Amino acid sequence: MSKFFQKNETILFLILLLLLVFLSFYNPQFYSIQNINSILRSSSTVMIVAFGMTILLTSGEVDLSVGALLSFVTVIVMDVINISGSLFLGFFSVFIFCFLIGLINGLVRTVLNVNSLIGTLAMMLILQGSVYIYSMAAIYNTHLIPAFTFIGQGFVYNVPMPVIIMLVILPIFVFLLNYTRYGRYFTAIGSNPFSSNLSGINNNRYKLIGFIITSLLVGIAGIILASLMDTGQQGSAKGFELIVIAAVLLGGTSFKGGSGTILGTILGILILKVIDNGIILMSIPQEFQLVVPGVILILAVYFDTLRKEKNG
Amino acid sequence: MNYIQKYLARGEVALGIIFLIVFVFFSFASEYFFTLRNIMNVSGQLSIILIASIGFAVLLIAGEVDISIGSLLAFVAIPLIQVMNFTESVTLGIIVCLLFGAMIGLVNGFLTVYLGISSLIVTLGMLFILRGAVYLYTGQRPISDELYSDFFFYIGNGKFMGVLPYAAIIAIIILVTFIYIMNNTSYGRKLYAIGGNAEVARLAGYNIKLIKLSAFVICSVLSSISAILLASRIGSANHVAGDLFEFQVVAAVVLGGVSLVGGIGTLTGAALGVLILAVISNGLGMLNVESQWQMVVNGIIIILAVGFDEIKRRKN
Repeated sequence: MSKFFQKNETILFLILLLLLVFLSFYNPQFYSIQNINSILRSSSTVMIVAFGMTILLTSGEVDLSVGALLSFVTVIVMDVINISGSLFLGFFSVFIFCFLIGLINGLVRTVLNVNSLIGTLAMMLILQGSVYIYSMAAIYNTHLIPAFTFIGQGFVYNVPMPVIIMLVILPIFVFLLNYTRYGRYFTAIGSNPFSSNLSGINNNRYKLIGFIITSLLVGIAGIILASLMDTGQQGSAKGFELIVIAAVLLGGTSFKGGSGTILGTILGILILKVIDNGIILMSIPQEFQLVVPGVILILAVYFDTLRKEKNG
Repeated sequence: MNYIQKYLARGEVALGIIFLIVFVFFSFASEYFFTLRNIMNVSGQLSIILIASIGFAVLLIAGEVDISIGSLLAFVAIPLIQVMNFTESVTLGIIVCLLFGAMIGLVNGFLTVYLGISSLIVTLGMLFILRGAVYLYTGQRPISDELYSDFFFYIGNGKFMGVLPYAAIIAIIILVTFIYIMNNTSYGRKLYAIGGNAEVARLAGYNIKLIKLSAFVICSVLSSISAILLASRIGSANHVAGDLFEFQVVAAVVLGGVSLVGGIGTLTGAALGVLILAVISNGLGMLNVESQWQMVVNGIIIILAVGFDEIKRRKN
């Protein structure tokens, strides 16, 4: 029992529960379908990318270019569909592009041996610059294909479509990370790259895969975001990388690699998003949406450190 | 001969050569680049990044990192401008601004060193907290300098004898001072020792916690000096000031050969990193290359420079 309460996920879950109870007492509107849907919808793009980031961080790497890539994807998908009138071509070009970016990020890390913090920071600059070279102006939806609008704005039985997409991807990653050899490899690489290498794991190959998976997930999130905004905007996901990383770290994944769970990540995102929502419902100045996650992030990692000291 | 080879293998020399190549290239490519006026303008602009980069490099050498400096740049400008507007004293404003900077450094350092939270997390949190506080306080509107003091204006915009920007003089003085501290004082050597191997440094009897804490304060105070120069240039405390500044600094310092793992790198290298990125960005501007291309070029240069450095290190 005490072991159960020492688990990171349990504590996060209790925090989330406290927040939910507090907010529902404070403002009954909190439990309206519309409000819950809006929290879930805005969480799902973050979650989809965070699944990949969890894997990367677990294996001891990071990708700072996800925000810049996300903005770029919204522009590409809108433009290609506008020109070709084909959803398939739009999605296809997004995934090819994301695959290439992930591949480059991975190769810079594994072949050139550049620290991923720097390599993906450089990629962020490259993408932020080149998206404006691609198009100076925002790209509006002129194709008006209903199926495209449905991806971000549609509902299935009152559940927003982005949430459903997230729920389809989620089990794949939970299964992959927890119940397959490959998932355990990522943890092994992150916790001790030397010994994982000695036991015959090709560290670099798995790191490369981690970067590519993350970029492809950004592709999915980007398509959803483009549909939600109904435009492709060059600066639409500014600061996105920091929110994803903050949420994943809050969820208990260590920056030094070797530990991390998808469930923790999900709870981390939900806590941040519920707080965001609470700030609006309680009519607190919206600027606190920046301050509160900062404080929570530091506190969460502090408690995590304390607990590790106690256990060790 | 052996001596020359050894000398050429040093990172700073390679960076110096890259700098010269870039410099000569732009001098030929654009007739406006190699003019006294342009070069002095560039030196004024890059001083802001240079000063913060020195502090950032000192902290990296000590084995820690501070990515909140961009938000700090916007944050400490507020007490600077407000105190100046209320008390009509520039000196008082600068003192309060530096105190605020030192305090933020103390908080970052305390949380990292004494509570044992990773500095990346602490300063990522601080990045949000400071930026949020700036938005809250300013209501997302710039606070203008209403004192119109000549002295304050000249700090960031004035030129000594009409040629050399005061900002550049300040930057050079700080650079020389810290190069001396890092190379010739026991404090500097301790920073290298702690960043290189904290356990050995502890066994050698160094007060690791106090020294790391001081490195955090140095980083924040130097960034606050950058904030003062920036506020003087734009004549206000602006809520979006310093946006992405931390990334520019990281790029320049790492390009200059300061390692993210701590204990490795020199301030001369970091300064050359700043110079190279500033010259490239200015030179491309002179050639009417759009600023978007400049970001792309900067990104590619960082990857190549760090990549070659790694390959070289693996050979050794």
